[in-house]
Amino acid sequence: MGTFKMYLEFSRKSFQRAAAYRFDVWTRIVGNVLFLFMWGFIWYGLYHGKSSVEGVSFQAMLGYILVSQALQGIHGAGTPLWEIQERVRTGDIAMEMLRPYDYTTRMLFSDFGGIAFYFITAIVPLYTVLFLVLNPVVPTSLVQLGLFVVSVILGYFIRYCIELTFGLFTFWLVETGGVEDIFYFSISLFSGSVIPLWFFPGWLEQVARYLPFQAIFFIPNSIFVGQLTGPAIWYAFMNQVIWLLVCYLILRLVWNRASMKIVIQGG
Amino acid sequence: MVQSLLRGIDMYLYMAGASIRAQLQYRYAFVMNILGWAMTYAGTAITMWVLLYSFGALEGWTFWELIFLFALAVLSWGVCMVFFFHFRSLDQYIVNGTFDRFLVRPVHPFFHFMAMKFDVGAFGQFLFSIVAVSLAYSSLHLHWTWQWLVFLGAVIGGTLIQGGLLVVISAMAFWTTRSERLYWVVMWPFKSLMNYPLSIYPRVIQVLVTFVLPFAFVNYLPALLLLDKTSNNFSPFWGCLSPLVGVLFFWLCLRFWMLGLDRYKSTGS
Repeated sequence: MGTFKMYLEFSRKSFQRAAAYRFDVWTRIVGNVLFLFMWGFIWYGLYHGKSSVEGVSFQAMLGYILVSQALQGIHGAGTPLWEIQERVRTGDIAMEMLRPYDYTTRMLFSDFGGIAFYFITAIVPLYTVLFLVLNPVVPTSLVQLGLFVVSVILGYFIRYCIELTFGLFTFWLVETGGVEDIFYFSISLFSGSVIPLWFFPGWLEQVARYLPFQAIFFIPNSIFVGQLTGPAIWYAFMNQVIWLLVCYLILRLVWNRASMKIVIQGG
Repeated sequence: MVQSLLRGIDMYLYMAGASIRAQLQYRYAFVMNILGWAMTYAGTAITMWVLLYSFGALEGWTFWELIFLFALAVLSWGVCMVFFFHFRSLDQYIVNGTFDRFLVRPVHPFFHFMAMKFDVGAFGQFLFSIVAVSLAYSSLHLHWTWQWLVFLGAVIGGTLIQGGLLVVISAMAFWTTRSERLYWVVMWPFKSLMNYPLSIYPRVIQVLVTFVLPFAFVNYLPALLLLDKTSNNFSPFWGCLSPLVGVLFFWLCLRFWMLGLDRYKSTGS
Protein backbone atom coordinates (compact mmCIF):
# COMPACT_ATOMS: atom_id res chain seq x y z
CA MET A 1 0.00 0.00 0.00
CA GLY A 2 2.90 2.30 0.80
CA THR A 3 4.28 1.76 -2.68
CA PHE A 4 0.98 2.74 -4.21
CA LYS A 5 0.98 5.96 -2.18
CA MET A 6 4.46 6.75 -3.40
CA TYR A 7 3.41 6.35 -7.04
CA LEU A 8 0.30 8.42 -6.40
CA GLU A 9 2.60 11.21 -5.24
CA PHE A 10 4.01 11.32 -8.79
CA SER A 11 0.50 11.79 -10.14
CA ARG A 12 -0.11 14.62 -7.67
CA LYS A 13 3.13 16.34 -8.66
CA SER A 14 2.49 16.13 -12.39
CA PHE A 15 -1.06 17.41 -11.83
CA GLN A 16 0.44 20.44 -10.10
CA ARG A 17 2.98 20.88 -12.87
CA ALA A 18 0.21 20.85 -15.48
CA ALA A 19 -1.71 23.40 -13.41
CA ALA A 20 1.36 25.64 -13.24
CA TYR A 21 1.86 25.51 -17.01
CA ARG A 22 -1.85 25.54 -17.71
CA PHE A 23 -1.67 27.75 -20.79
CA ASP A 24 0.66 25.31 -22.50
CA VAL A 25 -1.76 22.55 -21.60
CA TRP A 26 -4.79 24.42 -22.86
CA THR A 27 -3.27 25.48 -26.18
CA ARG A 28 -3.21 21.79 -27.03
CA ILE A 29 -7.01 21.82 -27.11
CA VAL A 30 -6.91 24.23 -30.08
CA GLY A 31 -5.19 21.65 -32.28
CA ASN A 32 -7.52 18.95 -30.98
CA VAL A 33 -10.61 20.99 -31.91
CA LEU A 34 -9.25 21.87 -35.36
CA PHE A 35 -8.71 18.20 -36.15
CA LEU A 36 -12.16 17.37 -34.80
CA PHE A 37 -13.53 20.07 -37.06
CA MET A 38 -11.68 18.66 -40.06
CA TRP A 39 -12.82 15.07 -39.53
CA GLY A 40 -16.34 16.17 -38.70
CA PHE A 41 -16.68 17.93 -42.05
CA ILE A 42 -14.92 15.17 -43.97
CA TRP A 43 -17.48 12.68 -42.68
CA TYR A 44 -20.29 15.16 -43.25
CA GLY A 45 -19.10 15.53 -46.85
CA LEU A 46 -18.78 11.77 -47.34
CA TYR A 47 -22.28 11.19 -45.97
CA HIS A 48 -23.76 13.96 -48.10
CA GLY A 49 -27.06 12.72 -49.53
CA LYS A 50 -26.80 9.32 -47.81
CA SER A 51 -28.71 8.44 -44.65
CA SER A 52 -26.59 5.42 -43.76
CA VAL A 53 -23.56 3.62 -45.16
CA GLU A 54 -22.84 -0.02 -44.31
CA GLY A 55 -25.55 0.18 -41.66
CA VAL A 56 -23.99 3.17 -39.89
CA SER A 57 -25.90 6.44 -39.72
CA PHE A 58 -24.23 9.85 -39.81
CA GLN A 59 -25.26 10.53 -36.21
CA ALA A 60 -23.44 7.34 -35.15
CA MET A 61 -20.38 8.35 -37.14
CA LEU A 62 -20.48 11.77 -35.49
CA GLY A 63 -20.54 10.11 -32.06
CA TYR A 64 -17.62 7.93 -33.14
CA ILE A 65 -15.50 10.87 -34.29
CA LEU A 66 -16.30 12.97 -31.20
CA VAL A 67 -15.44 10.27 -28.71
CA SER A 68 -12.37 9.30 -30.74
CA GLN A 69 -11.04 12.85 -30.76
CA ALA A 70 -11.70 13.24 -27.03
CA LEU A 71 -9.83 9.99 -26.31
CA GLN A 72 -6.96 11.03 -28.56
CA GLY A 73 -6.76 14.25 -26.55
CA ILE A 74 -6.51 12.20 -23.35
CA HIS A 75 -3.89 9.85 -24.77
CA GLY A 76 -1.89 12.79 -26.10
CA ALA A 77 -1.75 14.52 -22.71
CA GLY A 78 0.76 12.02 -21.32
CA THR A 79 4.52 12.17 -21.69
CA PRO A 80 5.28 12.49 -25.39
CA LEU A 81 7.41 9.83 -27.06
CA TRP A 82 10.24 12.22 -27.92
CA GLU A 83 10.67 13.10 -24.26
CA ILE A 84 11.33 9.45 -23.38
CA GLN A 85 13.71 9.17 -26.34
CA GLU A 86 15.48 12.34 -25.27
CA ARG A 87 15.97 10.94 -21.77
CA VAL A 88 17.54 7.83 -23.24
CA ARG A 89 19.78 9.82 -25.59
CA THR A 90 21.01 12.22 -22.93
CA GLY A 91 21.45 9.42 -20.39
CA ASP A 92 19.10 11.05 -17.88
CA ILE A 93 17.28 7.75 -17.71
CA ALA A 94 20.21 6.31 -15.74
CA MET A 95 19.34 8.63 -12.85
CA GLU A 96 15.81 7.26 -12.87
CA MET A 97 17.12 3.74 -12.55
CA LEU A 98 19.10 4.55 -9.44
CA ARG A 99 15.94 5.47 -7.62
CA PRO A 100 13.87 3.00 -5.63
CA TYR A 101 10.92 2.75 -7.99
CA ASP A 102 9.97 1.01 -11.17
CA TYR A 103 10.47 3.45 -14.04
CA THR A 104 7.64 2.18 -16.24
CA THR A 105 5.14 2.42 -13.36
CA ARG A 106 6.37 5.83 -12.31
CA MET A 107 5.88 7.17 -15.84
CA LEU A 108 2.38 5.75 -15.91
CA PHE A 109 1.44 7.50 -12.68
CA SER A 110 3.06 10.77 -13.78
CA ASP A 111 0.96 10.65 -16.92
CA PHE A 112 -2.19 10.14 -14.85
CA GLY A 113 -1.62 13.51 -13.16
CA GLY A 114 -1.15 15.48 -16.36
CA ILE A 115 -4.06 13.73 -18.00
CA ALA A 116 -6.33 14.34 -15.02
CA PHE A 117 -5.71 18.08 -15.25
CA TYR A 118 -6.27 18.19 -19.01
CA PHE A 119 -9.33 15.97 -18.72
CA ILE A 120 -11.03 18.00 -16.00
CA THR A 121 -10.21 21.49 -17.26
CA ALA A 122 -10.32 21.06 -21.05
CA ILE A 123 -11.78 17.80 -22.37
CA VAL A 124 -14.81 17.53 -20.09
CA PRO A 125 -16.14 21.10 -20.46
CA LEU A 126 -15.51 21.24 -24.20
CA TYR A 127 -16.87 17.84 -25.14
CA THR A 128 -19.89 18.17 -22.84
CA VAL A 129 -20.92 21.23 -24.84
CA LEU A 130 -20.14 19.54 -28.17
CA PHE A 131 -22.16 16.44 -27.30
CA LEU A 132 -25.12 18.55 -26.18
CA VAL A 133 -25.06 20.80 -29.24
CA LEU A 134 -24.36 18.22 -31.96
CA ASN A 135 -26.68 15.54 -30.62
CA PRO A 136 -24.78 12.46 -31.84
CA VAL A 137 -25.40 8.81 -30.95
CA VAL A 138 -24.41 8.17 -27.34
CA PRO A 139 -24.64 5.10 -25.05
CA THR A 140 -28.28 4.41 -24.22
CA SER A 141 -27.78 2.52 -20.96
CA LEU A 142 -25.54 2.77 -17.94
CA VAL A 143 -24.26 -0.74 -18.63
CA GLN A 144 -23.13 0.32 -22.11
CA LEU A 145 -21.43 3.37 -20.64
CA GLY A 146 -19.72 1.21 -18.02
CA LEU A 147 -18.47 -1.25 -20.64
CA PHE A 148 -17.20 1.68 -22.70
CA VAL A 149 -15.23 3.04 -19.72
CA VAL A 150 -13.66 -0.36 -19.01
CA SER A 151 -12.70 -0.69 -22.67
CA VAL A 152 -11.19 2.82 -22.70
CA ILE A 153 -9.02 1.97 -19.70
CA LEU A 154 -7.79 -1.28 -21.27
CA GLY A 155 -7.10 0.61 -24.50
CA TYR A 156 -5.15 3.25 -22.62
CA PHE A 157 -2.85 0.69 -21.01
CA ILE A 158 -2.26 -1.03 -24.34
CA ARG A 159 -1.26 2.25 -26.00
CA TYR A 160 0.97 3.08 -23.04
CA CYS A 161 2.82 -0.25 -23.22
CA ILE A 162 3.29 -0.03 -27.00
CA GLU A 163 4.49 3.56 -26.97
CA LEU A 164 6.89 3.12 -24.07
CA THR A 165 8.31 -0.04 -25.65
CA PHE A 166 8.87 1.89 -28.84
CA GLY A 167 10.49 4.73 -26.90
CA LEU A 168 12.89 2.25 -25.28
CA PHE A 169 14.07 1.06 -28.69
CA THR A 170 16.10 4.27 -28.64
CA PHE A 171 18.58 2.29 -26.52
CA TRP A 172 19.52 0.36 -29.64
CA LEU A 173 18.64 2.78 -32.44
CA VAL A 174 19.82 6.28 -31.70
CA GLU A 175 18.06 7.68 -34.73
CA THR A 176 14.52 6.30 -35.11
CA GLY A 177 13.30 8.80 -37.73
CA GLY A 178 11.78 6.63 -40.48
CA VAL A 179 10.69 3.79 -38.20
CA GLU A 180 8.95 6.28 -35.96
CA ASP A 181 6.84 7.61 -38.81
CA ILE A 182 5.69 4.12 -39.77
CA PHE A 183 4.84 3.55 -36.12
CA TYR A 184 2.75 6.74 -35.88
CA PHE A 185 1.00 5.99 -39.13
CA SER A 186 0.15 2.45 -37.99
CA ILE A 187 -1.29 3.75 -34.75
CA SER A 188 -3.36 6.42 -36.47
CA LEU A 189 -4.78 4.19 -39.23
CA PHE A 190 -5.08 0.74 -37.64
CA SER A 191 -6.38 1.98 -34.29
CA GLY A 192 -9.47 3.27 -36.09
CA SER A 193 -8.82 6.70 -34.63
CA VAL A 194 -10.14 8.51 -37.70
CA ILE A 195 -11.64 5.80 -39.92
CA PRO A 196 -13.57 2.97 -38.25
CA LEU A 197 -12.48 -0.50 -39.32
CA TRP A 198 -15.89 -1.30 -40.77
CA PHE A 199 -15.19 1.09 -43.67
CA PHE A 200 -11.86 -0.60 -44.48
CA PRO A 201 -11.51 -2.82 -47.55
CA GLY A 202 -12.09 -6.45 -46.48
CA TRP A 203 -8.48 -7.61 -46.58
CA LEU A 204 -7.20 -4.54 -44.75
CA GLU A 205 -9.84 -4.99 -42.07
CA GLN A 206 -8.58 -8.54 -41.56
CA VAL A 207 -5.04 -7.22 -41.15
CA ALA A 208 -6.21 -4.56 -38.68
CA ARG A 209 -8.16 -7.10 -36.63
CA TYR A 210 -4.98 -9.08 -36.00
CA LEU A 211 -3.02 -6.04 -34.84
CA PRO A 212 -3.04 -4.66 -31.29
CA PHE A 213 -3.78 -1.08 -32.39
CA GLN A 214 -7.54 -1.58 -32.91
CA ALA A 215 -7.85 -2.29 -29.17
CA ILE A 216 -6.80 1.31 -28.42
CA PHE A 217 -9.59 3.36 -30.02
CA PHE A 218 -11.71 1.21 -32.31
CA ILE A 219 -13.14 -1.15 -29.67
CA PRO A 220 -14.13 1.52 -27.10
CA ASN A 221 -15.49 3.81 -29.84
CA SER A 222 -17.59 1.01 -31.33
CA ILE A 223 -19.06 0.21 -27.92
CA PHE A 224 -19.83 3.89 -27.42
CA VAL A 225 -21.88 4.25 -30.60
CA GLY A 226 -23.56 0.84 -30.16
CA GLN A 227 -21.94 -0.89 -33.15
CA LEU A 228 -20.50 -3.51 -30.85
CA THR A 229 -23.16 -5.26 -28.79
CA GLY A 230 -24.06 -8.55 -27.13
CA PRO A 231 -21.54 -11.37 -26.99
CA ALA A 232 -19.27 -9.55 -29.44
CA ILE A 233 -18.39 -7.16 -26.60
CA TRP A 234 -17.03 -10.01 -24.47
CA TYR A 235 -15.04 -11.24 -27.42
CA ALA A 236 -13.61 -7.73 -27.88
CA PHE A 237 -12.77 -7.51 -24.17
CA MET A 238 -10.92 -10.79 -24.37
CA ASN A 239 -9.03 -9.42 -27.35
CA GLN A 240 -8.08 -6.32 -25.37
CA VAL A 241 -7.00 -8.26 -22.28
CA ILE A 242 -4.85 -10.64 -24.32
CA TRP A 243 -3.20 -7.78 -26.18
CA LEU A 244 -2.61 -5.95 -22.93
CA LEU A 245 -0.86 -8.99 -21.47
CA VAL A 246 1.23 -9.48 -24.60
CA CYS A 247 2.19 -5.81 -24.84
CA TYR A 248 2.98 -5.66 -21.13
CA LEU A 249 5.23 -8.73 -21.32
CA ILE A 250 7.05 -7.27 -24.32
CA LEU A 251 7.50 -4.00 -22.44
CA ARG A 252 8.98 -5.81 -19.42
CA LEU A 253 11.25 -7.83 -21.64
CA VAL A 254 12.50 -4.78 -23.55
CA TRP A 255 12.91 -2.84 -20.32
CA ASN A 256 14.98 -5.62 -18.75
CA ARG A 257 17.17 -5.84 -21.82
CA ALA A 258 17.54 -2.05 -21.88
CA SER A 259 18.55 -2.00 -18.19
CA MET A 260 21.22 -4.59 -18.91
CA LYS A 261 22.47 -2.43 -21.73
CA ILE A 262 22.87 0.52 -19.38
CA VAL A 263 24.88 -1.64 -16.96
CA ILE A 264 27.19 -2.70 -19.77
CA GLN A 265 27.73 0.85 -20.98
CA GLY A 266 28.30 2.03 -17.42
CA GLY A 267 30.93 -0.58 -16.60
CA MET B 1 21.32 47.92 -56.19
CA VAL B 2 22.21 45.15 -58.61
CA GLN B 3 25.56 44.75 -56.95
CA SER B 4 24.12 44.41 -53.47
CA LEU B 5 21.59 41.92 -54.80
CA LEU B 6 24.34 39.84 -56.36
CA ARG B 7 26.34 40.05 -53.16
CA GLY B 8 23.27 38.89 -51.24
CA ILE B 9 22.72 35.90 -53.52
CA ASP B 10 26.39 35.03 -53.33
CA MET B 11 26.32 35.15 -49.55
CA TYR B 12 23.10 33.14 -49.39
CA LEU B 13 24.62 30.41 -51.53
CA TYR B 14 27.72 30.37 -49.37
CA MET B 15 25.72 30.03 -46.15
CA ALA B 16 23.35 27.48 -47.68
CA GLY B 17 26.39 25.44 -48.70
CA ALA B 18 27.69 25.51 -45.13
CA SER B 19 24.28 24.46 -43.83
CA ILE B 20 24.04 21.58 -46.29
CA ARG B 21 27.50 20.34 -45.34
CA ALA B 22 26.52 20.49 -41.68
CA GLN B 23 23.40 18.41 -42.32
CA LEU B 24 25.29 15.87 -44.40
CA GLN B 25 27.68 15.14 -41.55
CA TYR B 26 25.11 12.79 -40.07
CA ARG B 27 24.48 10.68 -43.15
CA TYR B 28 22.22 8.11 -41.48
CA ALA B 29 20.07 10.69 -39.70
CA PHE B 30 19.87 12.65 -42.94
CA VAL B 31 18.51 9.72 -44.96
CA MET B 32 16.17 8.66 -42.16
CA ASN B 33 14.78 12.18 -41.93
CA ILE B 34 14.00 12.29 -45.66
CA LEU B 35 12.45 8.81 -45.64
CA GLY B 36 10.48 9.72 -42.54
CA TRP B 37 8.85 12.74 -44.16
CA ALA B 38 8.07 10.83 -47.37
CA MET B 39 6.55 8.06 -45.27
CA THR B 40 4.38 10.45 -43.26
CA TYR B 41 2.84 11.85 -46.44
CA ALA B 42 2.43 8.42 -47.97
CA GLY B 43 0.57 7.53 -44.78
CA THR B 44 -1.87 10.37 -45.28
CA ALA B 45 -2.34 9.30 -48.91
CA ILE B 46 -3.14 5.75 -47.77
CA THR B 47 -5.61 7.13 -45.22
CA MET B 48 -7.32 9.01 -48.08
CA TRP B 49 -7.48 5.83 -50.10
CA VAL B 50 -9.09 3.90 -47.24
CA LEU B 51 -11.47 6.79 -46.65
CA LEU B 52 -12.70 6.79 -50.24
CA TYR B 53 -12.87 3.00 -50.51
CA SER B 54 -16.44 2.75 -49.23
CA PHE B 55 -17.60 6.17 -50.37
CA GLY B 56 -16.12 6.62 -53.84
CA ALA B 57 -15.80 10.39 -53.74
CA LEU B 58 -15.70 13.31 -51.34
CA GLU B 59 -18.01 16.07 -52.60
CA GLY B 60 -17.21 15.09 -56.18
CA TRP B 61 -13.46 14.67 -55.62
CA THR B 62 -12.22 11.22 -56.58
CA PHE B 63 -9.16 9.55 -55.06
CA TRP B 64 -6.61 10.78 -57.62
CA GLU B 65 -8.02 14.29 -57.62
CA LEU B 66 -7.70 14.31 -53.85
CA ILE B 67 -4.11 13.04 -54.11
CA PHE B 68 -3.32 15.79 -56.61
CA LEU B 69 -4.77 18.43 -54.28
CA PHE B 70 -2.75 17.06 -51.38
CA ALA B 71 0.51 16.61 -53.31
CA LEU B 72 0.32 20.15 -54.71
CA ALA B 73 0.28 21.48 -51.15
CA VAL B 74 3.13 19.17 -50.12
CA LEU B 75 5.25 20.28 -53.08
CA SER B 76 5.12 23.98 -52.26
CA TRP B 77 5.43 23.16 -48.57
CA GLY B 78 8.65 21.32 -49.42
CA VAL B 79 10.10 24.37 -51.18
CA CYS B 80 8.92 26.53 -48.31
CA MET B 81 10.57 24.22 -45.75
CA VAL B 82 13.92 24.50 -47.47
CA PHE B 83 13.98 28.25 -46.92
CA PHE B 84 11.71 29.00 -43.98
CA PHE B 85 11.05 25.97 -41.79
CA HIS B 86 13.60 26.99 -39.17
CA PHE B 87 11.68 30.22 -38.57
CA ARG B 88 9.30 28.34 -36.31
CA SER B 89 12.04 27.93 -33.69
CA LEU B 90 12.95 31.61 -33.51
CA ASP B 91 11.66 31.57 -29.92
CA GLN B 92 14.60 29.42 -28.84
CA TYR B 93 17.03 32.05 -30.08
CA ILE B 94 15.18 34.78 -28.26
CA VAL B 95 14.85 32.83 -25.00
CA ASN B 96 18.52 31.79 -25.07
CA GLY B 97 19.63 35.28 -26.01
CA THR B 98 21.42 34.01 -29.12
CA PHE B 99 19.25 36.13 -31.39
CA ASP B 100 21.41 39.18 -30.69
CA ARG B 101 24.12 37.91 -32.97
CA PHE B 102 21.81 38.40 -35.94
CA LEU B 103 21.57 42.08 -35.06
CA VAL B 104 25.22 42.96 -34.78
CA ARG B 105 26.38 41.76 -38.17
CA PRO B 106 26.53 43.84 -41.33
CA VAL B 107 23.70 41.91 -42.98
CA HIS B 108 19.98 42.42 -42.80
CA PRO B 109 18.77 40.37 -39.77
CA PHE B 110 15.89 38.79 -41.69
CA PHE B 111 18.19 37.76 -44.50
CA HIS B 112 20.77 36.50 -42.03
CA PHE B 113 18.27 34.43 -40.10
CA MET B 114 16.79 33.03 -43.30
CA ALA B 115 20.21 32.07 -44.70
CA MET B 116 21.15 30.34 -41.45
CA LYS B 117 19.57 27.10 -42.52
CA PHE B 118 18.95 25.49 -45.87
CA ASP B 119 16.86 22.50 -44.89
CA VAL B 120 17.68 19.58 -47.17
CA GLY B 121 15.39 17.32 -45.13
CA ALA B 122 12.58 18.65 -47.32
CA PHE B 123 13.67 16.30 -50.09
CA GLY B 124 11.26 13.87 -48.48
CA GLN B 125 8.45 16.25 -49.47
CA PHE B 126 9.76 16.43 -53.03
CA LEU B 127 10.10 12.68 -53.23
CA PHE B 128 6.50 12.16 -52.19
CA SER B 129 4.90 15.04 -54.06
CA ILE B 130 6.66 14.51 -57.39
CA VAL B 131 5.76 10.81 -57.41
CA ALA B 132 2.18 11.56 -56.33
CA VAL B 133 1.64 14.37 -58.85
CA SER B 134 3.05 12.22 -61.67
CA LEU B 135 0.81 9.29 -60.75
CA ALA B 136 -2.23 11.57 -60.49
CA TYR B 137 -1.33 13.23 -63.81
CA SER B 138 -1.32 9.93 -65.66
CA SER B 139 -4.29 8.43 -63.80
CA LEU B 140 -6.45 11.46 -64.52
CA HIS B 141 -5.32 11.54 -68.20
CA LEU B 142 -4.31 15.18 -68.02
CA HIS B 143 -2.72 16.95 -70.97
CA TRP B 144 -1.44 20.29 -69.86
CA THR B 145 -0.09 23.04 -72.04
CA TRP B 146 -0.55 26.54 -70.58
CA GLN B 147 -1.58 24.84 -67.33
CA TRP B 148 2.08 24.18 -66.56
CA LEU B 149 2.41 27.91 -65.96
CA VAL B 150 -0.48 27.82 -63.50
CA PHE B 151 1.16 24.84 -61.82
CA LEU B 152 4.46 26.67 -61.52
CA GLY B 153 2.64 29.75 -60.26
CA ALA B 154 0.88 27.65 -57.63
CA VAL B 155 4.18 26.27 -56.37
CA ILE B 156 5.76 29.73 -56.19
CA GLY B 157 2.66 31.31 -54.66
CA GLY B 158 2.24 28.42 -52.24
CA THR B 159 5.84 28.72 -51.13
CA LEU B 160 5.46 32.44 -50.46
CA ILE B 161 2.10 32.08 -48.68
CA GLN B 162 3.23 29.28 -46.37
CA GLY B 163 6.63 30.91 -45.92
CA GLY B 164 4.86 34.14 -45.01
CA LEU B 165 2.82 32.36 -42.37
CA LEU B 166 5.97 30.84 -40.87
CA VAL B 167 7.47 34.32 -40.80
CA VAL B 168 4.41 35.68 -38.98
CA ILE B 169 4.51 32.81 -36.49
CA SER B 170 8.19 33.42 -35.83
CA ALA B 171 7.49 37.14 -35.39
CA MET B 172 5.03 36.29 -32.62
CA ALA B 173 8.08 35.26 -30.62
CA PHE B 174 9.14 38.94 -30.46
CA TRP B 175 6.03 39.69 -28.42
CA THR B 176 5.25 36.43 -26.65
CA THR B 177 8.60 34.52 -26.74
CA ARG B 178 6.64 31.58 -28.16
CA SER B 179 6.61 30.44 -31.76
CA GLU B 180 7.36 26.73 -32.14
CA ARG B 181 4.29 25.80 -30.12
CA LEU B 182 2.14 28.18 -32.13
CA TYR B 183 3.26 26.42 -35.28
CA TRP B 184 2.20 23.00 -34.01
CA VAL B 185 -1.02 24.17 -32.43
CA VAL B 186 -2.32 26.53 -35.13
CA MET B 187 -0.51 26.37 -38.44
CA TRP B 188 -0.08 22.61 -38.67
CA PRO B 189 -3.77 21.79 -38.04
CA PHE B 190 -4.83 24.56 -40.45
CA LYS B 191 -2.46 23.20 -43.09
CA SER B 192 -3.97 19.77 -42.54
CA LEU B 193 -7.47 21.15 -43.12
CA MET B 194 -6.34 22.21 -46.59
CA ASN B 195 -5.39 18.66 -47.59
CA TYR B 196 -9.09 18.16 -48.29
CA PRO B 197 -11.26 20.14 -50.71
CA LEU B 198 -12.30 23.48 -49.29
CA SER B 199 -15.89 22.92 -50.40
CA ILE B 200 -16.54 20.48 -47.54
CA TYR B 201 -16.07 23.24 -44.94
CA PRO B 202 -18.58 25.93 -43.97
CA ARG B 203 -18.61 29.28 -45.77
CA VAL B 204 -16.88 31.09 -42.89
CA ILE B 205 -13.78 28.91 -43.25
CA GLN B 206 -13.79 29.30 -47.03
CA VAL B 207 -13.75 33.08 -46.66
CA LEU B 208 -11.12 32.93 -43.92
CA VAL B 209 -8.64 30.82 -45.91
CA THR B 210 -9.19 32.86 -49.06
CA PHE B 211 -8.97 36.41 -47.78
CA VAL B 212 -7.25 36.28 -44.38
CA LEU B 213 -4.87 33.30 -44.27
CA PRO B 214 -4.74 32.64 -48.03
CA PHE B 215 -4.23 28.86 -47.84
CA ALA B 216 -6.84 28.42 -50.58
CA PHE B 217 -4.35 29.79 -53.11
CA VAL B 218 -1.80 27.15 -52.14
CA ASN B 219 -3.66 24.17 -53.53
CA TYR B 220 -7.46 24.33 -53.72
CA LEU B 221 -7.94 27.20 -56.17
CA PRO B 222 -5.10 26.20 -58.54
CA ALA B 223 -6.31 22.58 -58.42
CA LEU B 224 -9.81 23.65 -59.49
CA LEU B 225 -8.32 25.21 -62.60
CA LEU B 226 -5.75 22.48 -63.27
CA LEU B 227 -8.23 19.63 -62.88
CA ASP B 228 -10.94 21.50 -64.74
CA LYS B 229 -13.35 21.32 -61.83
CA THR B 230 -16.18 23.69 -61.06
CA SER B 231 -17.14 25.23 -57.76
CA ASN B 232 -20.21 27.17 -56.67
CA ASN B 233 -18.23 29.84 -54.90
CA PHE B 234 -15.06 30.36 -56.90
CA SER B 235 -14.52 31.15 -60.54
CA PRO B 236 -11.72 28.99 -62.00
CA PHE B 237 -9.50 31.93 -62.95
CA TRP B 238 -8.81 32.55 -59.24
CA GLY B 239 -6.27 29.76 -59.53
CA CYS B 240 -4.00 32.00 -61.63
CA LEU B 241 -3.72 34.53 -58.85
CA SER B 242 -1.54 32.40 -56.56
CA PRO B 243 1.82 34.06 -57.31
CA LEU B 244 0.31 37.53 -56.99
CA VAL B 245 -1.36 36.73 -53.68
CA GLY B 246 1.87 35.06 -52.56
CA VAL B 247 4.03 38.11 -53.21
CA LEU B 248 1.55 40.47 -51.58
CA PHE B 249 1.03 38.25 -48.55
CA PHE B 250 4.72 37.61 -48.07
CA TRP B 251 5.44 41.33 -48.21
CA LEU B 252 2.84 41.98 -45.49
CA CYS B 253 4.31 39.21 -43.35
CA LEU B 254 7.77 40.62 -43.77
CA ARG B 255 6.51 44.04 -42.62
CA PHE B 256 5.02 42.36 -39.58
CA TRP B 257 8.33 40.63 -38.81
CA MET B 258 10.18 43.94 -39.04
CA LEU B 259 7.62 45.50 -36.69
CA GLY B 260 8.38 42.74 -34.22
CA LEU B 261 12.09 43.20 -34.66
CA ASP B 262 11.81 46.88 -33.71
CA ARG B 263 9.93 45.84 -30.65
CA TYR B 264 12.62 43.28 -29.76
CA LYS B 265 15.32 45.91 -29.82
CA SER B 266 13.43 48.15 -27.47
CA THR B 267 13.07 45.44 -24.81
CA GLY B 268 16.63 44.22 -25.20
CA SER B 269 18.39 46.83 -23.12
